[in-house]
Parts: sequence; structure tokens; C-alpha cells
Amino acid sequence: MIVLKYVKTLDARFISHIDLLKHMSRILRRAVVPVKHSQGFNPHALIFFSPPTVLGVNSYAEYVAIDTDMKGEEVFTRYNNSVPEGLKAIEWFECAKNPNIQGKSVSADYVFDVDYFDVDLSDGLTVTYKKKEDFVTEDISGKICGTFNADGRLGVRLASGNNNLRADRLATALNEKYGKDIKVTTIAKLCQYVLVDGVEKSVDEYLRETP
Amino acid sequence: MNEYKKKIDEILLSVEKPARYVGGEWNTPDMTKPHRAKFCFCFPDVYEIGMSNLGLQILYDVINSHPDFIAERCYAPWPDMGAKLRENNLPLLSLETATPLKDFDVVGFSVQFELLYSNFLYMLDLANIPFYAKDRGEEYPIICAGGPCAVNPEPFAPFCDCVLIGEGEEMDLALLKLVADGKEKGWTKAQILEKAKEIEGVYVPSMLGEGEKVVKAVVKDFENAPYPTKPLVPNIEIVHDRATLELYRGCASGCRFCQAGYYYRPIRERSPEKCAEYGKKMIDSTGFGEISLCSLSTSDYTGLMDLEKELRPFIEEKKITFALPSLRLSSFTKEMAQSSRKSSLTFAPEAGTQRLRNVINKNVTDEEIDNIGRAFEAGYDSVKLYFMLGLPTETDEDILGIAEICRRLKKLYFEIRHKKNLNISVSCAVFIPKPSTPFQWEEQISLDEMLRRQSLLRKALREIKGVSFSWHGAETSVLEVALARGDKRLAPVIVRAYELGAMFDSWTEYFNWDIWVQAFKDCGVDMQDYVGEISEDKVLPWDFIDIGVSKKYLLGQRHLAYQGITTKNCREGCNGCGANKLGRCTIT
Repeated sequence: MIVLKYVKTLDARFISHIDLLKHMSRILRRAVVPVKHSQGFNPHALIFFSPPTVLGVNSYAEYVAIDTDMKGEEVFTRYNNSVPEGLKAIEWFECAKNPNIQGKSVSADYVFDVDYFDVDLSDGLTVTYKKKEDFVTEDISGKICGTFNADGRLGVRLASGNNNLRADRLATALNEKYGKDIKVTTIAKLCQYVLVDGVEKSVDEYLRETP
Repeated sequence: MNEYKKKIDEILLSVEKPARYVGGEWNTPDMTKPHRAKFCFCFPDVYEIGMSNLGLQILYDVINSHPDFIAERCYAPWPDMGAKLRENNLPLLSLETATPLKDFDVVGFSVQFELLYSNFLYMLDLANIPFYAKDRGEEYPIICAGGPCAVNPEPFAPFCDCVLIGEGEEMDLALLKLVADGKEKGWTKAQILEKAKEIEGVYVPSMLGEGEKVVKAVVKDFENAPYPTKPLVPNIEIVHDRATLELYRGCASGCRFCQAGYYYRPIRERSPEKCAEYGKKMIDSTGFGEISLCSLSTSDYTGLMDLEKELRPFIEEKKITFALPSLRLSSFTKEMAQSSRKSSLTFAPEAGTQRLRNVINKNVTDEEIDNIGRAFEAGYDSVKLYFMLGLPTETDEDILGIAEICRRLKKLYFEIRHKKNLNISVSCAVFIPKPSTPFQWEEQISLDEMLRRQSLLRKALREIKGVSFSWHGAETSVLEVALARGDKRLAPVIVRAYELGAMFDSWTEYFNWDIWVQAFKDCGVDMQDYVGEISEDKVLPWDFIDIGVSKKYLLGQRHLAYQGITTKNCREGCNGCGANKLGRCTIT
């Protein structure tokens, strides 16, 4: 199993996660990376993704695990020759089986394109958004794991995985509460974290340690 | 990044499916090369439909492969995006480089069918380009249109500086060369158009002399005609999301209602070797998971089995699927059924009885319908059947014949498979008399009559278990006839309908019949003038176009139809339609 860490930026950040899932088989077919398929009536390619990043956000920490016998370096090169700039792979890892990044994800770091400021969560932080046909108001403060100064910009660690907080919703909440003008298209996702044996670590670290 | 692109990126998250508007598809050609002239293809429907159009992919490739020219694309923005563009004072932009349409040398609309006419205006309006050619000065690009609707361009001709009639591969390049020369030598638009008239297939509405004819452009050497082996790969799911192989142009069947069957003559086949080579190249360059075959009657392609044989190992190695659309019952074989995936089969008998099938020259016999049994033997449990209601001379008996066919298939299935779970889906369109067919003079049945016949059929089908019935809108069919057989008087009607809010008429959620009724009324034009029977001695608005097939031949076919006499398939011998004067018919 080869895991590629890739970016999703430029025009590619407007491609939805679902569309990209479908597209990945095409990318690997034109890259001539032999992907193993499931058995059964409707065989599908054995490729596995990290959790979706919200549409419009620039991501530098997307992962796809590919079940193939091809060497990592070769997969990496071939993949990069078959994708546009906005989807380039930046690193590759090898592991024995599906690392299940999606299932293990707990948080992710984002940088918002706004000067660093103190985000006060003592009274909670609410945001209203449309869910199907209805508008819901949610206190999202519990899903903000922390904030940090990222070279003068506002860095945040948000819950990811099953109890996910979408970065665009936090941007909306901050814009409303603090009168900021954070645009979703300027948010960058920098790191994805997973929980392994009770320890939170970056996916890169986890993949390097996994045999 | 240009300023427009930046602004577009900012509004993208407030519209549905933003990936429709960003471009950046794999295999996008170099848009930065030095060039003499720039073309923008406009497709008056949404991205997912436009990206599925093979003709546009071919022409896009032809222009971009030329060292002197660049072609970009623009699809009709969905109404939410259209509103956002207006709200932000942004003009309609090309997909590749976010260039306003006004800044191109030539803007070419691909008009695929009549219900897109309102979107033609919607796109011009968003691009801040005046609708009528007469109102556009030298500062505007040359606006042209082509595609299947160019068979009768009169309703939209006043919006165009020129209309490209027929196949665009050579015509588009010739026009671009002329425009580039004109740019370099300082010619006026009128001077360019005066010369453009000389290009085969180019119709300049403002300069057509009395009695002058425009001959449809035809690619004579189809075997070696350019084909996009590196087509664009969409980033989102589109309607035809696969590699498409065009096997041949034209059709040998001569179904009397079928415009494409006459318009795309002469028949020109591409060799199976070449098709297989193109298919492999397309999969390698795109990574598509499916190859589909495209032509008017795929299973009539003489090289079908050779092509299948040639592609089979490649298909298996790459784990891709191979689809066979548009099957004719008479040419369907068990081998075909076995070599494709057993999901559902599609056939088009078009009419319920042998008598009516003879009238329309759909040479499918009752025995051949029994051919579907081969599909049941091969394991199929589901059949889709296409029919038309309102065909000339149709009686209630013909309509009930459709239910009879369903019953026969159920019985056949039971005899072969000893099971009763066959699914039949019957889909019915309304007959639309189209220009350049033997039925171009026919009347269309009234709205009330459409509904009566539809209800008769629905009732009959309800009695048969496992049959589902779907139906194509009656009102859109009336409008389609009026626009298809229209003349220049309809241009103001289209403008009025657009002013009243018509757009995306091919989408049921947007089609508004009342708007069109109002528009005809406001312009003092009677829709019935275009929907009723046309006298044979009348000069037709499209008579000035020479599509190869003679009017005399079409008239002869009409008379044969009324006698219930069929015309043989062109493969059994030439019927003398006249199309081979434009290029050699490769099957005769």
C-alpha cells in the first residue's frame, strides 16, 4: 500500500470531495499505476482517502492510500506527471495495509489569512448555517481544539473526522463576532492529525512509524 | 492571475457546483502560445451537458492543434451563477483564461437543439453583446453559430454575423484564417464576411443574394479527419462521462422522421483499426473507465466486430467497460449481447405496428423484435424501448400496438427464461416534423390530441405488469416544431421570450410555456403557422441550404410513406438521395 500526500489548491480546491474520489481512479489509470480491485460483481479500485476538506479551502495535507505493488517512488512520479498543479503530490509513504486515516482522524490545523488575535471562547461561539432545508444554530466552541500564532496569522486546530468542524463555519463565526473579513478561499489546511493508541499525532508521523 | 479570475474565485463558493466555472481540466491545451486569432466556443447549456458534446471536443482540438489559433470555451452559467455575475458587474468569461467574450476575434455558438435558442441570448446578454448582428459595430467579435440547428438557421440567423452550416473541421479553420488576415490587414467586419461567404458552408445572413444557395460543408476524407485523442477530462461528473469513439457519419437506414439521418449524409465510415487506435490513445491520455461508441446507428457499423476484437484485450487489461448505445433491432446479434455488460438494453422500434413502421421507414419487422430473445438468452432482464407518438397516419391501433409489443416480449422472456420478472421501460416522445426530412411538410398533432393519445397508451400499458412509462413534454414539443421550422419572423419572438424570462427551456424546472405563448402574441406571430401542415409547393425557409439530399428525393419519400412503401437500407444499394455529390458515400 502506497500513501501519497498531496495538495488541493488553485482550481482543484473547487472540486468537491465526491468528484475527486471518482476522479482519482482516472488519474491513476492515466498514470498507469496498477491499482488492485475488490472482488465481486462490481469490482472497485482499492483506494482510500483522508477526510474531506471543505470546498474552496487550500489544503496541503490530503492523503490517498493506494493498494498497488508498484514502488512508492514510481507511483509518486507517475502520479505527478498525470495531475494538474493544484493536485500535486508532495510526499509518499509505504505501509503494509490501509492506514485508515479517515477513521482515525481527530483534528486538523488551519491558517486563516487574518492577523493573529485572541479568540475568546469563554461564552461559546455560535454559527448559523443551512442544513438541508433548515437553518441550524450551533455552538462550535467545543470543536475548536486550540489557536496558535502562525507567523503572525491566526492558526486554529479544529476537530476533524466524526466530530468535524468545517473551517468555513468558523470563518463565518469569526467574521460575525469580530467583524473580520476572512474569505474561505484564503484558508489553508496545513496538517491532519490522527489518534493512534490514545496518542494524537500528525498523519506524517503516524505513517512514518507504521510498518 | 487576471483580475476577473480573482473576482470569479470570490463568488464561486456562493453558487452550486463551482467546479463548472474554473476550467483546468486535464489535457487543456496551451493557452499561452503566440497566436493570430482567438476563438471562443459558446455552448448554450450547462457545463455537464456541453462537456459531453463530441462535436465541440473535435472542433476545440482542431483549432488548438493549429499553430496560429487558440480556442477557449464558455458554457451557459446556471441561473445562480448568472445572477452572481450580474450582481458583481462581471461579464461572461471564457473558462480557460477568464477573458470576456467581447475580447475574442470570433465567438461561435454550438446550437444543438431548438430549446437552446433562449440561452443563446442569455449568454450574449451576460457578455454585454447586442443580440442583433445589425446592432453590433466593429468593436464586437464576429458572432457565428453552427451545430445541428444550422439545418434551418433562420430563426436565429439575425443574431449571427455568419452561420456555419455542416461539419466544422475545415470550415472553422478557414474562417479563422480569414479573420486573422483581416485583423492584420485592417479589413472591416463587412469585408471579412464578404470573403467568408466563399468558404463552403458559410452563410452570411446579411449578404445572401436572391436565389443564392449555401452548400453544407462536409469532411470528405473522414478516415483521416482529425480526432481528439487527448480530449478534455472533466473534474466533475458530466452526462457522458467517458471516452467517445465516432465510428461513422451519416446513416444508411433512411428513417423518414430523422433529421440527423439525412443531414449528416453522405455516409463515411472510419476503419476499425483507426477507431481502435483512437480508443486506446483516448483511454491512455484521459484515464476514463469506459469507451462508448458514437454514431447514428452503431450496430450498423460494418467494422463493429473487428473493432470489438481489436479492443477486447485492451479493455480487459485496463479494466474498463465498453458500451454499445443506440442499437437497431435488425442488426442485433447474440455476440453483441454476450460481449457487453448485462444491465439493460435499449431499442427503438419507434412505432407500434408494422404498418406504421413501414410509413416511417423504420425497417424493423415483428420477427426482428423477437430478436430481443437473444438478449434474454444472454442474461438480460431489462429492456428500454423508445417510441414516438403522433407520427403521420398514426391511428389508435398503432398506439395500442406498443402495448402489444410489450406483451410479446413478456411472453418471449417467459418462454426463454421461465421467469416473469422482465422489466420493460417504454419511453415516448412526440413526433416533431423537422426540416430536411421527408416529413418536413407534416403537421404536428394538437396539444389536446397529444394528451389523449398519451393517456390511451398509459392506460393500455398499466394493464401489463413490469412496464414503466415515461413521456416527453407536450408543450416543449410544440415549441420545438415552431422553432425548428421557423423563419426570420421568429427572431423577435425569441428576443421577446428572453425578455419575459425564458432561459434553460430544455430544463423542465425552467421551461415556461406561458412565456412563449405571450412572446408569440406580443410579436403578432401565430405559432400555428409553423406547427400545421405545410403545402408542398411552398418555398421553405431552409430551401436555400443544399444539404446534398435533394428536395425532390425528400418529397418522393413522403409520397412513398403515404403508400406504406419502404425504401431499402443504403447498404443494399444506392437510393439516389443526392448526398454523394458532396463527398463519396463510403458504403456504396
